[in-house]
Amino acid sequence: MRNKFSHIGLVFFVLIGVIPFAAAFIYALLYSLGIVGVLNSGFTLQHWQTVLASSEVFKSFGYSALVAAISVVISVSFALWLALKFRKEFDQKILSFIIYLPLAIPGVVAAFFTFQLFSRAGFFSRLAYQLGWINEVSQFPDLVNDALATGIIITFITIVMPFFVLLFLNVYKNERVGNLSELAYSLGASSKQVLWRVSLPVILRKTWTLIALYFIFLLGAYEIPLLLGQESPQMLSVLIIREIKQFDLSKISEGYAIAIIYTIVVSVAVSALFSRKNKTLNEI
Amino acid sequence: MFLEVKNIVKSFGSEQIIKELNFTLNAQNTMSILGKSGCGKTSMLKIIGGLLSPDAGEIILNGINVANQSPKHRKIVYLYQEDLLFPHLNVFENIAFGLRLKKLPENEIIQKVNSIIASLELEDQSGKMPHQLSGGQRQRVSFGRAIIINPALLLLDEPFGSLDAGTRQRMQELFKKLTKEFDITSLFVTHDLKEAILMGDQIAFMQKGRLKVYQDKTEFINDKETGVQDEIGFWDGLKSKETISKH
Repeated sequence: MRNKFSHIGLVFFVLIGVIPFAAAFIYALLYSLGIVGVLNSGFTLQHWQTVLASSEVFKSFGYSALVAAISVVISVSFALWLALKFRKEFDQKILSFIIYLPLAIPGVVAAFFTFQLFSRAGFFSRLAYQLGWINEVSQFPDLVNDALATGIIITFITIVMPFFVLLFLNVYKNERVGNLSELAYSLGASSKQVLWRVSLPVILRKTWTLIALYFIFLLGAYEIPLLLGQESPQMLSVLIIREIKQFDLSKISEGYAIAIIYTIVVSVAVSALFSRKNKTLNEI
Repeated sequence: MFLEVKNIVKSFGSEQIIKELNFTLNAQNTMSILGKSGCGKTSMLKIIGGLLSPDAGEIILNGINVANQSPKHRKIVYLYQEDLLFPHLNVFENIAFGLRLKKLPENEIIQKVNSIIASLELEDQSGKMPHQLSGGQRQRVSFGRAIIINPALLLLDEPFGSLDAGTRQRMQELFKKLTKEFDITSLFVTHDLKEAILMGDQIAFMQKGRLKVYQDKTEFINDKETGVQDEIGFWDGLKSKETISKH
């Protein structure tokens, strides 16, 4: 009976998860090779050659990876600090409720809030003007749609950090980091040694896979970079959609080629990640 | 006296869990402390180890009052009920943990750790991670990690509570051997009557936060409150029934 249910589950997984994805991937591949598509007239590598010769794609890749990495590093560091410093306070009902709140806010809403708060016509700009710190709008730093992706990074941190706080608090409890820390003190460790030799290694060892997955998730984020990003370079998803939806229909194939490259890179990264994770689980 | 505990008191809210704790212990001796769950044994050990602050009292170790010292400076190691090993370190690194904190030279660390590993009969396990070890092996690593830093006092909180009978007996023997080999002074908390008698040079009984230390094992055995007489009665009764049924 149990076997039968697991077979049905597998069929549903293939029908819902694998087939549509595989079909989309094959369609994108055929489109990028000129085999299907409105303006395509047969097999060609021209679109791939154009994409690989263009520096925009690689710039976009590097830019996306950098923005995602900075956001993840800041989120993880800040979440670790909060979880370790205010662990007991988070047991209180109000605080635990507040930390859950940002998780319920959609990315597009979070981006809108960031725009309202940090743009030159936004709340902080007006506050700075009222306090006499600036005399005109142009003196307020560019925090939205800027080259340093400040707005994107702030929004990513806002939506990702609460998740990491909850994750680290949970791991702290399950892995008995409190008891391990007491033991380390008892063996002669200082607070600094307990942090670097016990708390951080134990927590990060348990959570690195999720941290890496969040990096991949941010690498492919769309709404937030679309609303808060600059014209060039753009983050990957924004670039891909721009290529696919622009008026010049001949560019659609290039958009699909970029999407294929992105899919392959991410799939290889995820496979490597999970093969290592499975190896660790098998050891257990 | 090597260890003198004087008038230690500890309350959580309105409940006093340690009441006027007083006892002494000679160097290289083990005191077994018997008591039921919730009688204050773990709190007492944590206070002596510096992991809990007492409300009042003194802990004099080798002539120095350590009651206000941090755990780091006491040279007292508290061993948990469970074999709590660092999950990110293998057997060798778990045992070497205290030595690495002191930043000893690598050669010295390797030599000392290998020597302890040999004493613990764990030669083939040094590269294994904690999740790859059995309960008894984990407990041995836990001992090794504590002993290697040469603590002034070892506090053991029901260390064999989670082991099966056979492993427990082997661990008791190993502990006895190690205490002699490394001149260890220890407080050994247990709720097992037989273990208390076997492991301790001195025996004490804790009940509702009060500790009673016995002059010798005979006094402990004759005290009705410890439950030894009930235990003897149970086995004698069983033996008599068996004899009658055979006849």
